[in-house]
Amino acid sequence: MKIVACVKQVPDTTEVKIDEKTGTLIREGVPSIINPFDQFAVELAIKLKEEHGGEVSVISMGPPQAKAVLTKSLALGADKAVLLSDRKFAGADTLATAYTLALAIEKLGDFDLVLCGLQAIDGDTAQVGPEMAQRLKIPQITYAENVVFEDNKFIVDKLTESGLEKLQVKPPALVAVITPSDFVPGNPPFSKIMKAKKKPLDTWTADDLGGDPERFGLNGSPTWVKRVYSPPRKEKGEILTDPPEEVAKRLVEILAKEGFL
Amino acid sequence: MIEVDAEKCSGCKKCVKVCPYGAVTMADKLAVIGDECNLCGACEQNCPEGAITIQRKKVEIDESKFKDVWVVAEIAENKLKNVTLELLGKGRELADELGQTLCAVLIGKDVKSYTKVLGEYGADKIYLAENDLLEFYNTDSYNMIISGMILQFNPNIVLFGATHVGRDLAPRIASNLELGLTADCTGLSIDEGRLLQTRPAFGGNVMADILSHTRPQMATVRPNVMKKLESPTDKVPEIVEVSVNVDPRGMRTKVLERTEISGVGAVKIDEADVIIAGGRGLGSKENLKLLQDLADELGGVLGASRVIVDEQWLPKSQQIGQSGITVSPKLYIGAGISGAIQHLVGMKSSDTIIVINKDPNAPIFEVAKIGVVGDLTQVIPALIEAIKAHKAAQ
Amino acid sequence: MNIQTFSEEQDLFRESLREFCEQTIVPRRTELEDKKEIPDDIIKAMAEFELLAPSVSPDFGGAGFDAVTAGIAAEELARADPTCSIPVLYLVQCSWGHVFNKFGTEEAKGEILPKVTKGEAICGIATTEADIGSDLGNMVTTIKPTDKGYVINGNKNYISGVREAAKYGGGHVTLARQDLEAGTRGMTMFFFPLKDVPGVTISEDEEMGREAISTGGFIIDNVEIPKHYLIGEENKGFYLVHIGYEYARGLIALVCVGAAMKSIENGIAYIKERKAFGRPIGKYEAIQFALAEHYTRLEMARDFAYKALYYLEKEQSEGKYSRMEVSKIIAMSKLLTPGWAFNAIDDAMQWQGAFGYSRECPDQSALRAIRSFTLAEGSREIMRLIVARELLGKDFIAYK
Repeated sequence: MKIVACVKQVPDTTEVKIDEKTGTLIREGVPSIINPFDQFAVELAIKLKEEHGGEVSVISMGPPQAKAVLTKSLALGADKAVLLSDRKFAGADTLATAYTLALAIEKLGDFDLVLCGLQAIDGDTAQVGPEMAQRLKIPQITYAENVVFEDNKFIVDKLTESGLEKLQVKPPALVAVITPSDFVPGNPPFSKIMKAKKKPLDTWTADDLGGDPERFGLNGSPTWVKRVYSPPRKEKGEILTDPPEEVAKRLVEILAKEGFL
Repeated sequence: MIEVDAEKCSGCKKCVKVCPYGAVTMADKLAVIGDECNLCGACEQNCPEGAITIQRKKVEIDESKFKDVWVVAEIAENKLKNVTLELLGKGRELADELGQTLCAVLIGKDVKSYTKVLGEYGADKIYLAENDLLEFYNTDSYNMIISGMILQFNPNIVLFGATHVGRDLAPRIASNLELGLTADCTGLSIDEGRLLQTRPAFGGNVMADILSHTRPQMATVRPNVMKKLESPTDKVPEIVEVSVNVDPRGMRTKVLERTEISGVGAVKIDEADVIIAGGRGLGSKENLKLLQDLADELGGVLGASRVIVDEQWLPKSQQIGQSGITVSPKLYIGAGISGAIQHLVGMKSSDTIIVINKDPNAPIFEVAKIGVVGDLTQVIPALIEAIKAHKAAQ
Repeated sequence: MNIQTFSEEQDLFRESLREFCEQTIVPRRTELEDKKEIPDDIIKAMAEFELLAPSVSPDFGGAGFDAVTAGIAAEELARADPTCSIPVLYLVQCSWGHVFNKFGTEEAKGEILPKVTKGEAICGIATTEADIGSDLGNMVTTIKPTDKGYVINGNKNYISGVREAAKYGGGHVTLARQDLEAGTRGMTMFFFPLKDVPGVTISEDEEMGREAISTGGFIIDNVEIPKHYLIGEENKGFYLVHIGYEYARGLIALVCVGAAMKSIENGIAYIKERKAFGRPIGKYEAIQFALAEHYTRLEMARDFAYKALYYLEKEQSEGKYSRMEVSKIIAMSKLLTPGWAFNAIDDAMQWQGAFGYSRECPDQSALRAIRSFTLAEGSREIMRLIVARELLGKDFIAYK
């Protein structure tokens, strides 16, 4: 089974703080990590490979330092990795990103499954997966919590807003995953990291991918950011430290005033 | 690409401060843009000297070819989803400002009856596609039908709810038709005739205003953010029936099993007006009962931080936050939740936030309208009593 | 050499290990202290993560860590476990696993080391006795060759991991006197098993800190060990014991830095929030000055500790740098770092007021644990003698 997993390097948003005076992001000292949903995608790909044989390729689009997330994926057990890195890719919105990744997946050759995280924690768009699937002309399943392979078909557990669905799809397909609550991200030990060093990790530029240069990066992006700014900050709230009965009185006052009672 | 005019740059470092990607550094008192740059434009907009420019290609759009504001309707459990009505509310505003028609797109099996409500909540016109094979959402068939409608009728704006379905479908259509799409908008407005789409990024720490230079302009919009019409009209919308051929072979994913969660999950957490959420500070599963009692008094549903779901005290459908569901109810009461950023991202746009926590330094106090420093096992029973007393007095 | 440049793999390893610690160790501090043992599942997880005797070569189940990588692990483990029980287990096995791996017989290595790396046996170090510590030449434990091996008599005290070795199996790299006339030149190193050995009586001591790893002694009454348990050559043990000590001293510096840095970070978070007289206490100069000083010392200690381990690694694997040069630089690292770390943790506790002194505060565990490292594996007084000896030359060796 040939699987391609797509990963993104993201700032650890849990560590991003806001400068209280200027209202801007403090990025200093914020570590870059593999997008958590993507790590699950990689580990799921490796699990499927271990069960059914085959090969896991991992791709990422980003600046040169994004190599770190690919090395980590290799250390977790992926077989090869490709970094798509070129100034020409900068400013890509989801459509241009999907275009670029899809070209790379096609260049890697035949595949049975593309796995990616549903969304990245720095953008939260969840658009790149479906946009890639459309470009690759393959079916997609999003919000997936698990994938198994039976009788030449993928059986996917999908979280819906009202429960769960078990879906079936024939390869090739794209599955965008969310992390199930019992998922504990794997941490490769030293020997696996050293082994990863020996695995192929290539960098491809726009020229390597071919395709239409007008569709990469900012040029290929139908959406433009007009303005980036800090959200208006809410005023400091009222803090109650009185005994429970006093607090309860005040809360009822507020709930009544706002029409909740 | 992006350029810094060395003549104009004064070395003021404003760009360094505003760059959300940490891509700008100073060398010899000149701004230098690094590889991390994502061309977001924050530096360009904030440079007091106008020294930074991003070259964007010129795009000509024949605006006259694209008319009308569309809302893609979503039905769940024999009811139009709230977000659809909210989008109609917003869509009404946008359509009026543009002097265009507000249309709803309604797809399904025997769904004509919903046209009435769509009209009442603002739709002038409804594009209706019915087929027995469309009973349940399927990415392939819905993509094909809506993409076809868009090509046929050339709308100016198409809005989807940022629901599981909307977020599966909208990008598929965007890619099919090579259109721009903005995810999870919390604000929409008209800016010089264009749709200005506002969305949070970086876990809600920054906001971005986004424009599309393709038509239609497409966006998914967060539930519970827009307001539906306060007083529904008795307007009868025009119905345009679109005939569709659905080939089951084109529906490449097949549902084998569907499990609905009842009980706790019966009211969708992202549709609830009142949410009572619990976290690690509950201490024991028994204390969930307190929250349930409070929820019963206020007509709310239970929500949870991740740890409660991990402990399997509540199902995943109730998990609020980055790896769960984003909610913005009218009232959110959080008890024993410290407010890890993953949780805050999922609830901080709620209207009224009341939190109860022992630790006065818990980050959740930062977003609270009312913060109670205290023991939830004492505060909540007292609150329930006070509510009962208040109700009895009325 | 720019020691701050870790390889990409080492950076990734640190990151991976930090996550491992967050998942596996950090939530368990109070459990370690309450139960006074390292739970089996943590030992198992450490084995899977290759943290047990990782200096052992892969042929015998180890991860083949170089000394700098071993230092990274020591630092991270100490950040995660302020009781330092896990770091102590780690550094002892890493250091003496290295000596065993390098100088032990193939037979003994094949028998013992794979079990150690799997967590099924312990590899400790036993030199200290009731009446001697630094002056090894005066120890009373003796080793005598026999037809089949060696007979040992004597006692060892204040030895880490005694209970664990008796429970899991394994034992201690041990030093005893063979040629009684030759002083330190007549000492022999060997592996001494502790589990179910007739003639061995084990006792336990209570310590001020690092409660989750045992400390104790054993009395050896006419116990015979097989020939292949010999480590290195007869009467050359004193030379080998220094390699193990230096490895351990190098790692101890990073255990101290890791634990203290974590305390300082805890302190920083606290002083930014805690208010006194209307403003965060971090605004007061008394706290700022102390913070700046501790942080600077710890950063310097950290860089120097990695430099010392780099020298040790180069000496051990490539023969670059002399033994004496390495002894000196390692001693310099061990000389000041434990004291600096202790003082840093002490102040971090002070900033946190009554909470700092409560059992709930991790820093009080760290304080009690770190105090041991001004003594363990060579006291700071001995470190001074080593540095001075190297600076002044042989003619100035103290006490001669």
